[in-house]
Amino acid sequence: MVQFSLPQNSKILKGKYYKDKSGSNNLKKVNVYRWDPSNKENPRIDTFEVNMKECGPKVLDILFKIKNEIDPSLTFRRSCAHGVCGSCAMNVDGVNTLSCTKSHSDIKGNLNIYPLPHLKVVKDLVGDLTTLYKQYESVEPWLKTKVGEKTTKEIKQSQEDRAKLDGYYECILCACCSTACPSYWWNGDKYLGPAVLLQAYRWINDSRDEDKKERLKKVADELKLYRCHTIMNCTNSCPKGLNPAKAIASIKKMLATG
Amino acid sequence: MENKNNPLSPHLQIYSWHISSLLSITHRIVGVINIVAIIFICFWAILLSLGEPNYEFIQMFLQSFFGKFFIVFLSWSFSFHILNEIRHLAWDMGYGFDLKISQITGIITIFGSFILAILIYLFGRNII
Repeated sequence: MVQFSLPQNSKILKGKYYKDKSGSNNLKKVNVYRWDPSNKENPRIDTFEVNMKECGPKVLDILFKIKNEIDPSLTFRRSCAHGVCGSCAMNVDGVNTLSCTKSHSDIKGNLNIYPLPHLKVVKDLVGDLTTLYKQYESVEPWLKTKVGEKTTKEIKQSQEDRAKLDGYYECILCACCSTACPSYWWNGDKYLGPAVLLQAYRWINDSRDEDKKERLKKVADELKLYRCHTIMNCTNSCPKGLNPAKAIASIKKMLATG
Repeated sequence: MENKNNPLSPHLQIYSWHISSLLSITHRIVGVINIVAIIFICFWAILLSLGEPNYEFIQMFLQSFFGKFFIVFLSWSFSFHILNEIRHLAWDMGYGFDLKISQITGIITIFGSFILAILIYLFGRNII
């Protein structure tokens, strides 16, 4: 359902202002989305003055600095801190990205940090991705072969066929693309979204997989696939430089050309 | 996890615009306007077949300021839709998905639509 404005309980209020105590002359104002499930208040934007003289180069370093030195209740997901796990995906300065690979020096002026768009917020910068994972499961992201049932030997793949997976196998499922997609915002319950469709294409395109026809048939749906209108927000936001829009178009093309 | 009452994170309100997303929504809006315009043009054709007074009435409308604005705007909206549709056709064939290329074609579409609109206008006024 298309609903442009936020529901009443999601309207953002002005939050607290944390003044710098270090007396540094290199300060950055960081606006962070906060929501605490333990009280019934609306979400708010807290502003932190952060001393950039003693701060690492990435946006994630800022968040850690705030959590360690200013407000320990700040909640966000992170794990590897170098762009491999996809946990720290969030909306930084209006575009979804991994906060651990985004340099804060790229951003002039105040820094705005929100959770991934159009998700149910669990706490602060943590969004609920349950629907996306269910959709991921629905494309059966594993190798399906008949040969594999009979043999225990390795199923070989030529270098050319392996190269066809370049640009697709690198996806870490951080959900930056799916939550950047307006189509996914309005039809997230039915439309699979760029991340899951890219994964679907990765398996359709795998030379070892013997379930290609079934996979294509399953995804060929007015809502599951064709809600993609080439808005390209997915490709614009992908922190790994992949191209989900192209993957979706490739599926469409395969369906059209048979 | 049960979280019906949890807030929805902000989306349109905070997401920054790119050329691609801006052109996509413009394409939609312009498409709707064009369909309405085509219906108007059909009525125009029917009215013309009904005789001279209708012709004079339409002529009067088109020569008013609003009428002229209407014509110039439609020249642009049709130009834009045609050019962006070519982009979509290329995408459907699997070309032009590279981020740089899609940005360049987007900019070409924007400028091209204005140039094409001016050309249509000049052509219509027998200037070229």
